[in-house]
Amino acid sequence: MYSAQITRANPTCIVLLIDQSGSMSDPFSGDSSRKKADFVAEVVNHTLHDLVIRCTKTEEVRNYYYISVIGYGRNVGTCFSAELGARQMVPISQVADYPLQVKSSYKRVSDGAGGWVEIPVRYPVWIHPAADGKTPMCDALRKVKDILEHWLKDHPHGFPPTVLHLTDGESSDGDPDEIGQQIMSLGTDDGAVLLFNCHISSRRAAKIEYPTEEASLPDGFARSLFQISSRLPPNFLSAAAQLGVNVVEGSRGFVFNGDPSSIVQFYEIGTSLTGMTPYRWMDDDRRTELA
Amino acid sequence: MSSAQQTATWELQTRQLLLPKLDHEVAECEDFIAEDAETCRFAVTDGATEAFDARNWARRLAQSWVQTHSALTAEEFREWVANEGRELHDSWNGLNLSWYSEEKARTGSFAALVGVELDFKTYSPSWKAIALGDSCLLYCRNGSLLKSLPLSRPENFNSTPVLVASDASMHETSMTSVVIDSGNCNSGDVLLLLSDAMACWFLERFEKGDLDPNELLKTKEDHELKRLFDDERLAGRMRNDDLAVLRIELISGE
Repeated sequence: MYSAQITRANPTCIVLLIDQSGSMSDPFSGDSSRKKADFVAEVVNHTLHDLVIRCTKTEEVRNYYYISVIGYGRNVGTCFSAELGARQMVPISQVADYPLQVKSSYKRVSDGAGGWVEIPVRYPVWIHPAADGKTPMCDALRKVKDILEHWLKDHPHGFPPTVLHLTDGESSDGDPDEIGQQIMSLGTDDGAVLLFNCHISSRRAAKIEYPTEEASLPDGFARSLFQISSRLPPNFLSAAAQLGVNVVEGSRGFVFNGDPSSIVQFYEIGTSLTGMTPYRWMDDDRRTELA
Repeated sequence: MSSAQQTATWELQTRQLLLPKLDHEVAECEDFIAEDAETCRFAVTDGATEAFDARNWARRLAQSWVQTHSALTAEEFREWVANEGRELHDSWNGLNLSWYSEEKARTGSFAALVGVELDFKTYSPSWKAIALGDSCLLYCRNGSLLKSLPLSRPENFNSTPVLVASDASMHETSMTSVVIDSGNCNSGDVLLLLSDAMACWFLERFEKGDLDPNELLKTKEDHELKRLFDDERLAGRMRNDDLAVLRIELISGE
């Protein structure tokens, strides 16, 4: 299970589900300068950048992945706009070709001889930060289920879809358990859909990352998200271990009270798929800053 | 494809087979095989699937290595790779690249390489090999595996081998993984230069003792081998990867 080779003939899909409720405009605890929505948009853009680069073969982007980015807050729907806006699921080659803008900057890197050089880098932007309205998590998960059912009809044999859900608060439209379980019951010949949840917090509270049991969780909401979080398959466990994250067999793809560094790791682990090396787009010194 | 080369008293019978991943075109194959009768050098390279311009990098490494007369010590090899990498990167100058190709090119290209040089000029014929990555040399004598390098067990193969980088700034660390070995040659010895999926499969067979690879590669026609390896990949007993095999049999004329 979770070992199907991802090819153009047998692609997989990745759904990024993002809470865009009003509370996402609050800052992280201890960092009043940074809104959660701004940081999440940056990480999602970097994640899309990474997925495109992984599929780039010289001057061609191969469609190993199909991508959906769904936001929920005042509305529930795709976060893509312009050329990508009309579709729920977009092949990675089109993601590559249609960012909203490509920013240019410089990055300091080692010159290999003990010094540093500045090299030009490009930062494509697909989504802008958004934070408005309530937290219709159940409605959003229903949307994800619809998208996956449609995908699975055409792709019953590939690596199962991965859903990376990020939220900063409790659902405002009911308990997500039932719809979460329905999503986790979908799948391909190669395994069930992987649903991973990352809860981030504005409060100063101890973060819990990739737990194996719910007894350690502080409240009913945390336990509810734990219940709808898939166990990390072996390849994802390896990826997490490579990133220095403390995981064991049975760890769930679940973070509670996460901080900015948790978000970065969550997306890196969640997109590691079949043994791919996690992409470290953030410099080590910045990680240390965030930790 | 088979061929025979003759030295003063030795004959080399070679055979090579190159297969792309299942459902891929031959033009997409990133494994390369090169041989040069004059230098008596042979190489197999395997471009990293996720790397920029990996096919060109793998081809350049294979073709250039068999034609050079150096690059068989760690120092020479590092200098030679740096030079080849510079030329590869120069070939990208002036290309009008999309943002993603530009980003990809920034990290350079990567490939595995295994090369062997045979020396029949001395009284005691010998071989010397160099490898970086997971393409392997399997040295066989009397149907048994005498040596395998740089990897010797099926479980040594993973998805993140240290490879030959075109960007010299990575060599400080990557070149510490270069493996160099040598030995004497006997008549009837068989050298197999194999890219990773094939090497892993052969090593598994050797460990199980259920295959004489010399016989397999010697007796079966190309189309039979292709069918066998397609079946193995379809059944999941061999990873669905590009496959390169170069078999060299040494026959003494004395």
